[in-house]
Parts: sequence; C-alpha cells; structure tokens
Amino acid sequence: MKQRESDEVSRRHFMRAAAGFTLFSTSSCERVEDWLGLGGKEGPVVPPTGEGIDLISHVLNRTTFGPTPSEYARVKGLADTEESAIAAFLDEQLEPDELEDNRAQRAVRRFEAIHAPLGEMYEYKEAFLLEQLTRATLVRATRSKRQLFEVMAHFWSDHFNIDVSKKECRWLKAADDREVIRKNALGNFSDLVRASALSPAMLWYLDGRENRKRNSSETPNENYARELLELHTLGVDGGYAQKDVMEVARCLSGWTVRDKGRFHKGRVEFFSDAHDDGSKTVLGHEIASGGGEKDLDDVLEIVCEHASTARYLAKKLCIRFIADEPSNESIEATAKAFSSSRGDILTTLRAVFATDEFLTGARGQKLKRPFEFIVSALRGTRAKVSSEMDLVDYLIRMGHAPFQYPTPDGYPDVASPWTGTLLWRWHFAIALSRNEVSEEIEVDQDELIEKAGGEEGLSASLLGRIPSKEELAGIERTGEPLALLLASPGFQWR
Amino acid sequence: MAVKGTGIISGNGDEQRALVVVFLRGGADGLTMVPPVGNGEYYKVRPTLAVPEGDILKLGDANCGLNPALSGIHEIYKNGGLTVVPAVGSNDDTRSHFYAQDLMEHGCPVAGGWLGRFLRFRDGAPPTALSAIALGKAMPEVLRGAPAATVMESMDTFSLGSKFGPTAKLQTELGALYGKDESILGPAARDTLQALDRLEKLRSEDLPPMNGAEYGDDSFSNGLRQAARLIRARVGLEAVSLDLDGWDSHFAQEPLIMPLMTRLSDGLAAFHRDLGELMQKVTVVVMTEFGRRVAENSSFGTDHGRGGAMLVMGGAERGNVFGELPELETGILVGPGDVPVETDYRDILKPILTQHGAGDSMAEIFPT
Repeated sequence: MKQRESDEVSRRHFMRAAAGFTLFSTSSCERVEDWLGLGGKEGPVVPPTGEGIDLISHVLNRTTFGPTPSEYARVKGLADTEESAIAAFLDEQLEPDELEDNRAQRAVRRFEAIHAPLGEMYEYKEAFLLEQLTRATLVRATRSKRQLFEVMAHFWSDHFNIDVSKKECRWLKAADDREVIRKNALGNFSDLVRASALSPAMLWYLDGRENRKRNSSETPNENYARELLELHTLGVDGGYAQKDVMEVARCLSGWTVRDKGRFHKGRVEFFSDAHDDGSKTVLGHEIASGGGEKDLDDVLEIVCEHASTARYLAKKLCIRFIADEPSNESIEATAKAFSSSRGDILTTLRAVFATDEFLTGARGQKLKRPFEFIVSALRGTRAKVSSEMDLVDYLIRMGHAPFQYPTPDGYPDVASPWTGTLLWRWHFAIALSRNEVSEEIEVDQDELIEKAGGEEGLSASLLGRIPSKEELAGIERTGEPLALLLASPGFQWR
Repeated sequence: MAVKGTGIISGNGDEQRALVVVFLRGGADGLTMVPPVGNGEYYKVRPTLAVPEGDILKLGDANCGLNPALSGIHEIYKNGGLTVVPAVGSNDDTRSHFYAQDLMEHGCPVAGGWLGRFLRFRDGAPPTALSAIALGKAMPEVLRGAPAATVMESMDTFSLGSKFGPTAKLQTELGALYGKDESILGPAARDTLQALDRLEKLRSEDLPPMNGAEYGDDSFSNGLRQAARLIRARVGLEAVSLDLDGWDSHFAQEPLIMPLMTRLSDGLAAFHRDLGELMQKVTVVVMTEFGRRVAENSSFGTDHGRGGAMLVMGGAERGNVFGELPELETGILVGPGDVPVETDYRDILKPILTQHGAGDSMAEIFPT
C-alpha cells in the first residue's frame, strides 16, 4: 500500500508536541478544555416566549445549525426590535472573517491530516483522512461562531458533491473541502466553479482526468461536462442540448491529474496534445480554435453568466433557506441579485434573506436532515463532545454521513427522502439525554433546565416557542424532558 | 381522517419483497462449486482438485453441475427454486480482491453501492430505518449510499431501550405527539412505532424457525435466521447483506472450502425451508468477486481468475442454469488461463431488481 503508517504516527506525535507548545505559550486562562473546543463562557439563557416560532428563532433555525441556549438572548440583545436584531445578526454572519472564532479553529487544528499539503495526503490511510475530515466537519458545524459560513460550506458540499469512496477521492476530497468549498463558500460563484473544475478530487470523481482527445479516433469523456451543466450551473432544464455537453467536453479536454510519482500525485496539469483545439460552439457562443487551456475560462464564463444558472442557483438557495417549494417571486428576486452581482454569494444570500417569504412565510417547515438534527441537538444541549465517531455511526445509519452521497447531485435538501430516519433520531435523542451515546459525549440536563429557568424554559429554548399543553404533559409523564423534546416532532423541523 | 402509512406496514407491507445478498469474499472457485460435466480437460488441469464426475449433482442436461457439498440447495433446484449461473463476473480484470469486490459492489466505476442506489431511487415510499440491514460488523460497500441502513449483529440493535433502560413511557408519549402530527412525519412515526412493537414481540417470543428448518450455529446461519425472522415480522425489510468469508484458496483448497460450501448450502436450505411460501417474495443472490484459475497450482490450490459462479434462490419461478460453462481450452480461456466472463453479473441483478420494484431507476442503479 501507498501509506506509511510510521510516518503518519511520527507526524502525529510531532503535531501533538507542537500543539502542546502552543497551549503552554498562551495565556493561563485557556485551559485544556478550551483548547479542545469544549469550554467557553456562555451568556445568560433567556428562552423565547412566543406561542409560535418568533422571527429571531426562525432566522437562527434557518441560517445556523440551530441555536445554543444563550444564542437567542444574545441576538435579541443586538437591537431594540426583532427586525433590527436579525439584521444585525445577519450582518455579523455575512462577514465571518470579522467574527472571532478561535475556539472552533483550535478544536479543528487537532485534525492535522486535513491541513496537510495535497501531495502529503496520500501518506495517510484513507479511512483516517475521512475520519478526520468528518470529525472536523462536525466540530465546525457544532462549535463555529461563523454559522452561516458553515451552513454554506455544507450547501456547496452537496452542490459540488464528491463521494470519497470513488477512487482517489479517498485522499483528495479533504483538499477539495479546504481549497474549493471552504475557500469560496461566501465568495464568488464563478471562482467556486473554477476551483471545482480544477480540483483534483473533482477531476477524479467525474472522470475529467480521462477527458482527452489525442487523435481523431478518441472521443472526449463527457461525464464532467454534463454534470457541470446539469448540476453545477444551468440545471437540468437550463436549456442546453446534448451538443453543448459534447462541445463543453471538447473545451475541457486535456486537463488531467497526476496519478503517479511520490511528489506529483494529485497535481493538476494541462496537456495541449490531449486537448481538442478545434473551434467550438457552446450555448450559442463561438470559441475560436487554438484556445488551448484558455477554453476552460471561456466555457466557465459562458455557463456561470447564463440566465439559467442564476435561476437554478437561486432556486436551490431558496429551497435551503425558505421552503421545499419556494415561490417564484422569491426565486426571481434571488436570481436577479445573483445575476446583477455576477455571482456574488453574499449579495445573493442577502436577497434570499430579504424576501417576504423568508421573513414572514411559514416557520418550522423545513425538515432538519439527519446531520442538522444531530448538530442542532448538540448545540441546543451544549453537549461536551470529545470524540465524534459515535455521531458518525448515527449519521451512517440515517444515510447522511458527510461526503458519502453516492451520486453527483448531493444529498437531497427536501423533507420526503428523510422521513425514514425517525427511529434513529429517537434513538439518538434518548441516548444523548441519558449520556449513553458514548463516554465522550456528555450533556447535563439538570444544568440546562436550571439555566433555562425550568422545563418550560428548556422546551422554549429548544423549540423556539413555548411548549404546547400536550408537550408539557408528555414531559411531566415521562420525567425525561430532554429526551422527549429532542425526539418530538417540533425539534425535527427548522 | 384515515392517514395512509408510508410503507413499513400499512403501505405495501404485505407486498414487501426482500433481497438478500450473500457475498462470498475471497473469490470462490466456480469450478469447484459448479464443476463441468463430461469435460476431460477439467480432470487434466485439476488432477487433485477436480470433483469426480460421479459425485457431481446434475442440473438437468446442463454442462455443469453442483458440488456434492451443495446438496441442500440442489434439492431446492430440483423444486424449481434455484438458478445457477456459471462463468459470470464483472469486467474488472485486475484479479485484485479489493478492486474486484469494490467494482462488483459499486456496480460500475462510481462511488456507492448498487443496493444502496436501489433503495434510494426505486419506486414507492422512501425507505425506513428497517429497510436495509447489513448483518455483521461493518457497512459493506454494496449498501453504501443507502438512505437508511443499519449494521447489526443481533436484533437487539433495533430497540430504543435495550441499552438505556426502559423507554416505554417515552414511546407512548411520542405516539401521542406524533399521532396528532399532520406533517409528513406523522405517518412515518406511526409506522416506526408499530415496527418497534413488532420487534419487541419478536424479541420476547424468540420463536423457533418454521417448517422444521434447522439452522447451524455458525454466524452465517445465524445471520440468515435473523433475516428470516425480520422478514416474517414484516417490519419493512427490503435489503439484507451478509458475507461468508474465507474463499481465497491459494493453498490446500479442498479442506478450506468444503466446509464453507456445506455452511453455505445448509444455511440457504434452512432459510428456504424456514420462510416457506414467503420465498415467493424473497430473492437470495450469492455472488463472489471472481472465480479462480482453471489449472490448479503446485500447492493444491488455485489462484485468482475471472469468471466465477452465482446462485439465485427464490423470487419468481426459477430452477435452471443461466448460460453455460465454456470449454476449458486454450483460445477460450482468458489471461493466464481463466474462465471467461460470459455473463455480466449485472444482467442477472437487473431483472431481480426490477421484480423488487426498481421501476424506471435502473439507469441510476447501474449508470453507464
């Protein structure tokens, strides 16, 4: 096998030692617990008091992985009215670099494999890399203050889905996550598409690396070209024809990724002798012959600026943030912002959050997918997590382990495919509240109740509204408020 | 208002079909499991390992038969419940266990398994927590990408309470809260609660197998026994995966794989008898990553080859041999002297998956 375990071990020791040094060199108030991302001061808990989900809870549900107990009060305190408070909160979230996030960053630093340079990733065992990447993803979603950024990273991971079980994606996806998805999650869509097109993992996943035309008998591999149009940009009804797919494939021929050589594996390269250098027509645009590697830029400009792309991306964002079937009006407003800003993701998101449907439409009507359910439960209970592996087992059982969706369209973002997951949601709710998920995951139900000012407060803090009579009666009869609340219908929606 | 269930019980529960995939890991020797009949070449290249002609269990007038160790399933064949496929395999010619298993479980060079994609894209209501089970310790590749799949070693996995003390009160209250739920989750929750009740009953009763079936106490037979109980309980089980390991017979093949064949055959026969009439809705597919070299090696074993054998039990009326075993001669053999792959394993799987409700999703299950 390619990996050398001894190197991996020695690197890990070295990194641990380095991390230990950092620990001792920082000020004494940072305890080990902080370094692991477990600690941190928490503000006061003042639960919502509305009978229905109020605006602040709604926005927190939709733009984050769920509120922590004190987050509601913190956001409410940002301004005098609910409207101004959520505006201030969104401003904060839309500029994540301004948000101090040391604790989460420190917690992720211990997964050293995912920070390794591309070429070095091959030195790790693939299962270990996936474990580190998955755990880091869970830690970030749970701990990061840059919640909207994490939600968008999650969104793009589906949009540009790569399943790690395909060939060398096993090693390369971690770099794709870092250099493509996270680097551009709130940047410009065109940059994101370009980074993805030239991502070694994507070149493996959709066979772009096999797309070559070295002689007249060779036909380009269309796989990536098709998904670029169908899934990444225009959408399946975006108005392209089979001919466009073939022409895009011709434009992208010659780009490949090295699969040999200790220091060169994973390197993306362009071979002009494998490129079809004739003239092409893509979606009505002429691309002159002799363009060579520049063809890629031409193609990406054509597809990213296409009106269908704006609409397709707008619809997907509206489905994520607004409803499984968003209104045409919301989609159009979002698409307009996307087009006029030439794919600026922040501008587009602001447009989504400014729609009437987002602000005043139905609340609690987006089913949390299993990942969102688990992370929102951890956040809502301030669970102390020192190992995430048992969480991954639950995600696998519910068919929602990060980076393991089998087809290029990514995990579905609507409710119906996920209704079969209730058994494991209940299982998790009970296990978490009884501290039985694993020894590494701990919640303190009594403390949560005390801080929230009673069981009703805990309910409101988890549900974004005061509990119904039935919910309170159930809590009374079971004597297990946390288990029942986390398993209840109300907590399954966001 | 009567609310229609989503599939576990009240939906198509009574029509529910189950597919059991048995993977013989290590590359089971097709020429020992399904030896040629009346083939002189076979005895020349396998002087110590060939199955004596007189011992071979005949499959009608097919040019191949069954190893005598497979007598249990030969009975099923005679009653029309078994199809035997010789010279079957994938187009992987690496002869590497890892690559060949991966490809056969993935279905094509894509990520994720064909059984997982079947569950995700087939017609009908979405799968439930009890739709897919891998009996064993780890999720096999074939189920990767399923919308829901559970690895279990025993049925106790399916309980809200076994590990944490009683959950009856919580279940009652969840029933009350979801009972009033008018969302898409309401019917799903009611199905789940019913399934939990059935499982609880199953656990507490610990019913013996039916129709006088007797399972061995090996883990393979035990897995099949659990699968039969779950199928009988109609909890929505659609796909089961289990492995029988240890077929990589480079050295002293006979004492290694004879007991495995007996275990395979006895386990399948017990399962078949146990389920009785229900076998009409259950299909068992037995597959392996590749067959082995035609000529035996110098240590009474065989090396990695190409075409192997596949068995299909149950489902619609069967009881035949699909295709035939090619001649074992130079010019016909491939690579270093291997049985060619005459039948693509996917061509066996496709009609089975169609029967199990794949609908129009074959292009997603086996993308080209």
